[in-house]
Amino acid sequence: MKPIAAVAGALVLLLAWGGAKIPWEKAMARDQRKATYGFSGPTTVAIREKVGQGLALAALGGFRGLAANALMLQAHGAWEEQQWVRVRSALELATMLQPRVAVFWDTASWHLAWNAAVAAEKYSGESSETKRKIEARRWVEAGRDLLERGTKAVPEKALLFQRLGDLYWQRLGDYQEAARCYREALSKGDAPPYLERFVGYALEKAGDKQGALEYFKDLRREMGDAPSQVRRPEVVEREITRLEKETAEKRVRKIK
Amino acid sequence: MIGCLRRISAVAGNTFLEAVRQKVFAVLLVFALVLIGGANYFTEFSFQEQFKFLKDLGYAAISLTGLLVGLLGAAQLIPGEIERRTILTALCRPLRRWEFVVGKYFGLTTYLALMVVIMALAVWGVLGWKEGQFLRAEGLDSETAATIRAEAMDPRLLQAVLLVGAKLAVVAALAVFFSTIATSTTFVMAMTLLVYLIGHLQSVAREQWLETGEVTRWTVRIFLAGVALLVPDFNLYNLIDEIVAGNVVVWRTTLEVLGYSGVYIGVLLAAAACMFEGRDI
Repeated sequence: MKPIAAVAGALVLLLAWGGAKIPWEKAMARDQRKATYGFSGPTTVAIREKVGQGLALAALGGFRGLAANALMLQAHGAWEEQQWVRVRSALELATMLQPRVAVFWDTASWHLAWNAAVAAEKYSGESSETKRKIEARRWVEAGRDLLERGTKAVPEKALLFQRLGDLYWQRLGDYQEAARCYREALSKGDAPPYLERFVGYALEKAGDKQGALEYFKDLRREMGDAPSQVRRPEVVEREITRLEKETAEKRVRKIK
Repeated sequence: MIGCLRRISAVAGNTFLEAVRQKVFAVLLVFALVLIGGANYFTEFSFQEQFKFLKDLGYAAISLTGLLVGLLGAAQLIPGEIERRTILTALCRPLRRWEFVVGKYFGLTTYLALMVVIMALAVWGVLGWKEGQFLRAEGLDSETAATIRAEAMDPRLLQAVLLVGAKLAVVAALAVFFSTIATSTTFVMAMTLLVYLIGHLQSVAREQWLETGEVTRWTVRIFLAGVALLVPDFNLYNLIDEIVAGNVVVWRTTLEVLGYSGVYIGVLLAAAACMFEGRDI
């Protein structure tokens, strides 16, 4: 075969395959993107702009997981030095590189809504208590924002909904919202068994004792006659008795 | 047909033995095994994070070592034979040029497959070791223990290994293709590495060329079309990240990517054989 014919033959072959593979690649990429990010994952350009050059090279060269891990290590180092802005930026980037890793969102929100917020409130050295509280609230909101985004990125797992519920309960005192998040977590199928009782506890904390009582009653009914011991039916029954007693006492007080 | 297969397997066997004798590959394998074992020392994180770190580092070590072996091995395949003049004695036998190219490729990929299997076993070994460490910890409830077991011995990791292997096989096919054109090993390595890196941006070029409509200059459009048409989309193998993250990746998706890799390798080998037929030795 003449060299020119060989080159032409190889080129034609590669171009013909190139034309055929593009629709296939597009379909596969679309399916994977849909499965991985929903509909709007971070684009390569966005990653390149936001991540440093070294990490971008790793992330775009097929070592995205390693780049994200390096950022988590960076965040850990910054946390030890109480450099909260650096912690936040490293965590934001790590979750951007690997939005489907639930444990990254979990760790990131814990650092912001708990560690950074407590540090801002108690150890910042700011003399004004109001300013300290505002700053702490800002960190809690940042943690909540991360978790809200995390639940959209990993909607099929219970973990982040549970953590969001914990955040509403422990950091924001919004118990109705906590109950909603716990319910959402329970609908995912991989929630820990104790979480089903937390919906009732959250409703009670929100002041809705009647709602909590009805919830526990429904839960006990749903458990059936021979419930699994892991679901602790005796605790649910104890809660029903306690709430019935308390609501009855409340009614008596009202009548008096 | 049987004669053809015999000739291909003879070349493949010879290439495999040559690769086994290369000390640099053994050193790379040891380096990867040390890296995989060293990943066990990220102990300041939760067990989920530690397992993720282990898996990420393990698969990165497999990818990186496999990439280096593929590059170094394929770069020497044909230019090395030409330089040593051994190709003349090989081709004066009843051996067709395409059989020589295909045999060389299969010899190299068999060696790559062996390395991937050894490293994957090392990753599983380290995961098992870590699992044992966690399970021996005191005060562990049954639910956490079950999660640890599921994290450590996740059967989906087999999908990740297959995807890493397929990606490396495509890179090796690219290197074999370049080695049929090139006269120097440096050229083969540089070109393959460049295509490997561009392959991770191929989807961006494809989108810019076909979907966004942002690029209007025809010179840029021709460049983007060239990248989209001639370079494989290596982002398709990012499913490995999903598997490491513990998310469900259906077998159909994995098999589709493996099928894509298989067809790509076939086309690259056909193009390489075509180029080699016209080459003056």
